[in-house]
Amino acid sequence: MELDFKIQDFEGPLDLLLHLIKESKMDIMNIEIELITKQYMDFLNEQEKLNLEVSSEYLVMACELLEIKSKMLIPNNKDKVEEEEKVDPREDLVNRLLEYQAYKDITKVLQEKELIRKEIYTKLPESIKNYSDGDNEIHCDVSLDDLISAFQKYYQRKIDSKPIKTKVTVKEISVSSRKHDIKSILKNKKRVSFFELFPVVNKEYIVATFLAILEMAKEQEIKIIQDKEFDDIVCEAI
Amino acid sequence: MQKAVLEGLLFVVGEDGLTLEQIEEVLEIDEGRAKELLMDLKKDYEEEDRGLRIDFLGNRFKLTTKFEHKEYYHKLIENPETNTLSQAALETLAIIAYNEPITRIQVDVIRGVGSASIIRKLVAKGFIKESGRSEAAGRPILYETTNEFLDYFGLSSTADLPKLDEILQDVSKEEDTEADLYKSRYKEN
Repeated sequence: MELDFKIQDFEGPLDLLLHLIKESKMDIMNIEIELITKQYMDFLNEQEKLNLEVSSEYLVMACELLEIKSKMLIPNNKDKVEEEEKVDPREDLVNRLLEYQAYKDITKVLQEKELIRKEIYTKLPESIKNYSDGDNEIHCDVSLDDLISAFQKYYQRKIDSKPIKTKVTVKEISVSSRKHDIKSILKNKKRVSFFELFPVVNKEYIVATFLAILEMAKEQEIKIIQDKEFDDIVCEAI
Repeated sequence: MQKAVLEGLLFVVGEDGLTLEQIEEVLEIDEGRAKELLMDLKKDYEEEDRGLRIDFLGNRFKLTTKFEHKEYYHKLIENPETNTLSQAALETLAIIAYNEPITRIQVDVIRGVGSASIIRKLVAKGFIKESGRSEAAGRPILYETTNEFLDYFGLSSTADLPKLDEILQDVSKEEDTEADLYKSRYKEN
């Protein structure tokens, strides 16, 4: 069977299945699950070949079909007495298809009604002000000057209501100031523990200090020594 | 005189329409009299030399033009709006209308695809609205159709919807779909 339609033409996996069932002229109450599963999978594969993304809902349905197919292949070895109580693995799917089909059919009825309703017209409600007593009418004896002064007052209020600008500053710790500090420490001490260089526990401070140490090491101003692993790191002036 | 006033009232409210209660209140009459007036006016409008009609749409009485005169309106309105709802929107509306109040997940289950964006659009169009929350896990939002939905399809009330049973044939509708959602699909018989 030639499949030359796109997945976009379907509202979902149920819609696609109904279409395939109809095309194959199958009885919905007695779906040939093997054939329909094959057609369904072929269709999905075709979509993928065209580099079209198959949405997950279609894949979920593919799994369901395969599950039903495998269930139907398993020979039923149970007691013959239970024969009547055996659940058709297709039952759930068939019910869902029938239910979906019903709503699909109803959309056709709704569509007809939609078109008919479009042919009759109503009007917007009348503006109620045409029917009010006229008490709300504005008696106008204001001059242009009144308007200007009213506007000026409004404008002033607008300015007044603006939040006052202020600056909230954070004390900046620069890398160069830390370099300077470290230099003066090393002048007095010659050797200093790495951890001693971080007396303040504050993110900016730690970052600036660390960068200062790295820079100084790069510029050959200090030497960083660690005797053995996990030992204290020592900074030494060169 | 009351009949004439009623005619004027219907004109003023236009597409908003009037409920029976509103008519009773404004005209200070009882329900029986209000119905009588409506029927009387409705009969007058059915005459061939009248251009309007009283329709009961979306639970409200509205003054509308006559369907029979559509061709003249087509001539008058150069670009009649021909936008109609998509298949997906119609499906979703149908499912909500027959199962309201219903959660989005329940709609998804029946359609077999996600319906979140369509439901959002339908809410924006005013065809459905939120109507509280379900008692199920996560307390999902419940949706129901509005009077605008009914009017859009020319329906008087939800009783006017085509009968689902006739279309559903022998599919037994589950009584408690909510519980069914969160139970396994295994059935005892």
